[in-house]
Amino acid sequence: MTEIFRILIAPLVWFVSFSAIYGLHGVLCETGPGAFEGWPVQRVVLISPVLLAIALQVVNLWMLYQPRFTAPAGLLRFVSRAGGWTGLVATVWTLFPVVALSACT
Amino acid sequence: MRALERHRKLSAIWASETGFRGWFSTVNHNDLGRMFLFTAFLFFIIGGLLAMLIRVQLATPHSAFAGPEIYNQIFTMHGTVMMFLFAIPTFEGLAIYLLPKLLGTRDLAFPRLTAYGFWCYAFGGTMLIVAMVFGIAPDGGWFMYPPLSSAIHSPGINADFWLIGITFVEISAIAAAVEITVSVLKYRAPGMSLEKMPIFAWYALVTALMILTGFPPLILGSVLLELERAFGLPFFQADLGGDSLLWQHLFWLFGHPEVYIIFLPAAGVISTVLPVMCRTTLLGYGWIVSAALALAFLSFGLWVHHMFTTGIPHLGLAFFSAASTLVAVPTGVQIFAWIGTMWKGRPELHLPMLHILGFFVTFVIGGLTGVMVAVVPFDWQAHDTAFITAHLHYVLFGGFVFPIFAGIYYWLPHFTGRRQFFRLGELAFALVFSGFHITFLAMHWAGLLGQRRRISAYAPEDGWTTINLISSVGSFILAIGIAMILIDVLLHVFTARRSRRNPWNASTLEWAMITPAPAYTFASLPQVSSRDPLAREPELATTLARGEGFLGTPRDGLRETLAVDSASGRPEMHVLYPANTRLPIIMSAVTGLFFLSLLLKFYWIVPLALAGVIVLAWKWVRSLGLRDDPAMQPVGHDLNLPSSATVERAPGWWGSVFLLTANGTFFAALLFGFAFLWTVAPGWPPPVWFTPSVAELALGVAGAVIAPLAMRRAIRRNRAGDAPLFSVLIALSGSAVLGIACAALMLRAPAPTEHAYGSTLLVLGGYGLFHAIIAALMGGFLARQIRCGYTSAKRRAAFPIVALWVKYTSITGAIILLAAHLSGMLS
Ligand code: HEM
Ligand SMILES: [Cu+2]
Repeated sequence: MTEIFRILIAPLVWFVSFSAIYGLHGVLCETGPGAFEGWPVQRVVLISPVLLAIALQVVNLWMLYQPRFTAPAGLLRFVSRAGGWTGLVATVWTLFPVVALSACT
Repeated sequence: MRALERHRKLSAIWASETGFRGWFSTVNHNDLGRMFLFTAFLFFIIGGLLAMLIRVQLATPHSAFAGPEIYNQIFTMHGTVMMFLFAIPTFEGLAIYLLPKLLGTRDLAFPRLTAYGFWCYAFGGTMLIVAMVFGIAPDGGWFMYPPLSSAIHSPGINADFWLIGITFVEISAIAAAVEITVSVLKYRAPGMSLEKMPIFAWYALVTALMILTGFPPLILGSVLLELERAFGLPFFQADLGGDSLLWQHLFWLFGHPEVYIIFLPAAGVISTVLPVMCRTTLLGYGWIVSAALALAFLSFGLWVHHMFTTGIPHLGLAFFSAASTLVAVPTGVQIFAWIGTMWKGRPELHLPMLHILGFFVTFVIGGLTGVMVAVVPFDWQAHDTAFITAHLHYVLFGGFVFPIFAGIYYWLPHFTGRRQFFRLGELAFALVFSGFHITFLAMHWAGLLGQRRRISAYAPEDGWTTINLISSVGSFILAIGIAMILIDVLLHVFTARRSRRNPWNASTLEWAMITPAPAYTFASLPQVSSRDPLAREPELATTLARGEGFLGTPRDGLRETLAVDSASGRPEMHVLYPANTRLPIIMSAVTGLFFLSLLLKFYWIVPLALAGVIVLAWKWVRSLGLRDDPAMQPVGHDLNLPSSATVERAPGWWGSVFLLTANGTFFAALLFGFAFLWTVAPGWPPPVWFTPSVAELALGVAGAVIAPLAMRRAIRRNRAGDAPLFSVLIALSGSAVLGIACAALMLRAPAPTEHAYGSTLLVLGGYGLFHAIIAALMGGFLARQIRCGYTSAKRRAAFPIVALWVKYTSITGAIILLAAHLSGMLS
C-alpha cells in the first residue's frame, strides 16, 4: 500500500487543490462584491492556497528524492518521482490563471 | 502424473456445464470474457447500423428518411450504444479474458461477480434495445441534458429508459472494475512484482481505478434526475432551488474521464502488440506507466471544458483550458515511446500492425483537433457543430476501434488455436481506413462551414450538400470494410488450419498454454522472474503442462489458486474458487426486476425485488463459510500457504476496499452537489430550513461512534479466542441507531418536492439509511456465522470486512447528520 500511496499522493493533492481552489473562487464570487481589481482581501484569500499547494508539491517531491522516504530502486522509484513531477507541473500550470486573472466575470 | 492425465483431471474440475446450459451457470473467465466480447460486438453492429441510418438521413438536404423524433432517437441510441454498450464492455471482456493469462493465474478474483456483471450488462443493454424496437428509445442526446430531459420537456418514458438502463449497465462496469483491480493487485503468478507485470495489466489497473472514480458521478446524476422525473424532487429545476448545470457537472465529471477509460485499454493493447510486431521490447516501460497514471489523474481536471459555452466565469475557462492542454503531454509521451519502439525494432507489416498504423494517423489528428477545441475562443465557434462530432470520432475510432481491431487480429489465434489464411483482412483494413477518413474529414469541414450537430435536416442553400454526400459515401465504404472484417474473423474461426502455439513469438504468459485456452488456464502456475517470461524460457508452456510449476497436482476436485503480496509478488495465501452456479444470473435478473419495476412505475414490486436481492446476497456469502480450521495448504515447491479464510486481509476485504472507493466517490459527488446548489443555484436560500434536533444528532453520532469501536473490540476478542458475539451485536445496534437518525432526517426533510434543499436532505438521509441497513445486515450475518461455528480465532477473515463497512457507514452517516442539522442551525 505504501508503494501505491507514494505514487498517487502528488496527483491526488493536485486534484484536491485544483477542485478546492476552483470551488473557493466560485464561493468568493457568490458572496463578495464581484470584480477583484488590485489586491483586495479576496485575491489574497485565493492566491495563498495556490502558493500552499505549490509548496506541498515541492515538499513532496523533495521527500521523494530523500533516501529516507524514497521508494525502493527501480520502477517504483521512477514512477513515484514521475508522479511527483506531474503533481508539481500540473499545480503550477493549471493554477497559474488564479494569479493572472481572478475576475468573477 | 502425465501431462494428459493432468489435463483431464483439471478439465473435469474447472469445466463449465456442457452445451448452452453452461452459459447460464459458468463463472469461468474464459467463457465470460468471450461472452462479453461477443455481446459487445453485437452492440457494435447495432450502433454501426444506427450510424448508417444517420448518414443516410444527412446524405441529402431536406431528407424525408426519418422525421426529427426518430432521428433524435437514432443519434442518441448510436452514441449511447457505442459508449456504454460497446466500448466499455469491450474493455471489460478483453481484460476478463486476458488478465489471468497475462498474470499467470487461473481465474479472476471473484468469478461469480464476473458472471453477475455480465448478466447485468446483457439485461440492461437488452432493455435499451427493446425500447428502441418499440420506438420509445431515449432521444435527449447521449448526455441527456436537463431541462430538455426533465419531466416537463420529455414527458414520455424514453428518458427513463436511458437513466435506468444505463445505471443498470454501470453496475456491471463497477463490478468488473472491482474485479480487475483486485485481480491485478493480488492474483498474479509467484514472483511477478509490480515491476515485472505485463504492461497491459498496468493499463487495466489504471482504467479500472478510473471506472471506480469516474462512473459514480454519473450514477448519482442519473439517480437524481430519475428522482426528479418520477417523484418531482427538483434537483435540476432552477425555479425550485435546483440547477440544470449541476447535471452538466456530474455528467462531465464522468464523461471526460470516460474518454480516457476508453483510450487507456486501447493503449494497453498497442503497448502489448506493437513490440511483438517490431520484434523488440517496449521502449520506456517506466515512462509509459507514469504517463498512464498522469493521464488518469489529469483527465479528472478537465470536465468543465465541455461547458465552455455555459457562461462560466473567465477564471474557470482559463483553468480548464490550461488543464486540457496539459493532457497532451502524457499522451505525447506514450506516442513517442511507441515511435521509439518502432525505431528500435524491425517492424513487420502484419495485419495487427496495419491497424496500429491506422491508429497512429487517426489518433494524432484527433489529438490535434482536441488541442484546438481546448482553446476557448475556438471552442465558442466550433461548439455543437459537426466539427466536434468529427473530432470525437477521430479520438474514439482512432483511439479505440483501430487498436481493438489490432488486438482482435493479434489474439485471434489465441481464441481459436488457428492461424489466419485469407488475405481479406488487408483489403478490409484499406476500406476501413479510407472510409473513415473520407467520412470524418468531410465532417470537420461541414462543421467549420456551420453545420450544427444533431440536426435532422438542412437546406440546399446552406451549401453543405456535396460535403455531406461525400461523408455519407465514405461511411458506406467504412461499413463495407467493417463487414469484411467480421466475415474474415468468421472464416478464420470456422475454416482456418490449426496453428502452432505462440504464432507471433510473443514473450507474455498468455501464450504459454494450449490454445484455445483450457478451462483451468494454467496446468501449474509459473514462477516469474522477468517481464518477458517466454523470451527467457521458450519451453515454459511444456514445463507448466508437466505440472512443474505451483499447484500442479489437482486434488479433491477443488478449484485452487494462490494470491500474492501486491508489490513484491511473494505468494501470500491459498485461495479456493466457487463452483459453477446459477446464482449470478438469478441475482442480476432480480436486480433487473428492481430497475424494471421502477421504470414501469410498478412501485409495489420494488421492495419485493430488493428483498430478493438481499436473500440472494445472503446465500451468496453463506456458501463461503468453513466449518473447521483449515491447515496450511501445500502449493508445490515445498511451499505452504495459509488459507484465505484465515488471513487479516482476504480477497473480500480488498474487494470491499475498492467497492467502497467507488461508493465514497458517489458520496463525495453528492456532497459536491449539495454545496454546488447552495452556492451557485438561483432560488436559494430555501423558504424553510430543516429544524435541527440536538437529540437526534447526538443519538445518531453516538451510534456512529460506538459501532466501529465495538467492531474493533470484536476483532480483538475473536483473535484472543474470546467470544466476539456480544460486541458484534453492539456494533449492529450502533449502526441501527445511526439508521434511525437518518430515517428521522428523511421524514422531517422540509417539503422535498418544493425546494432542492429538502430533496437533497431526503437523498442524504436515504443514503445514510441504506448503508446503515447494509451494515446491520452484515453484522447480523456475522453474528449468525459466529453462532453456527463458522468463525474461530483462525477463521477470522469475515471480521475485518464487516468492520470496514461499519466504519464507512459511520463516517458517511455522521457527515450526513452534521450536514443536515448544522445547515438548520446556521440559518
Ligand atoms: C462506425 C462508424 C461510425 C459512424 C459512421 C458514426 C457516425 C456518427 C455521426 C454522423 C454522428 C452525428 C450525429 C448528429 O450529430 O446528428 C455520430 C454521433 C456520435 N457517435 Fe458515431 N459514428 C461511428 C462510430 C462511433 C463509435 C465507434 C463511437 C464510440 C465509441 C461513436 C460515438 C458517437 C457519439 C458519442 C456521438 C454523439 C451522439 C450525440 O450527439 O448524442 N460513434 N456518429
Ligand atoms: Cu473532455
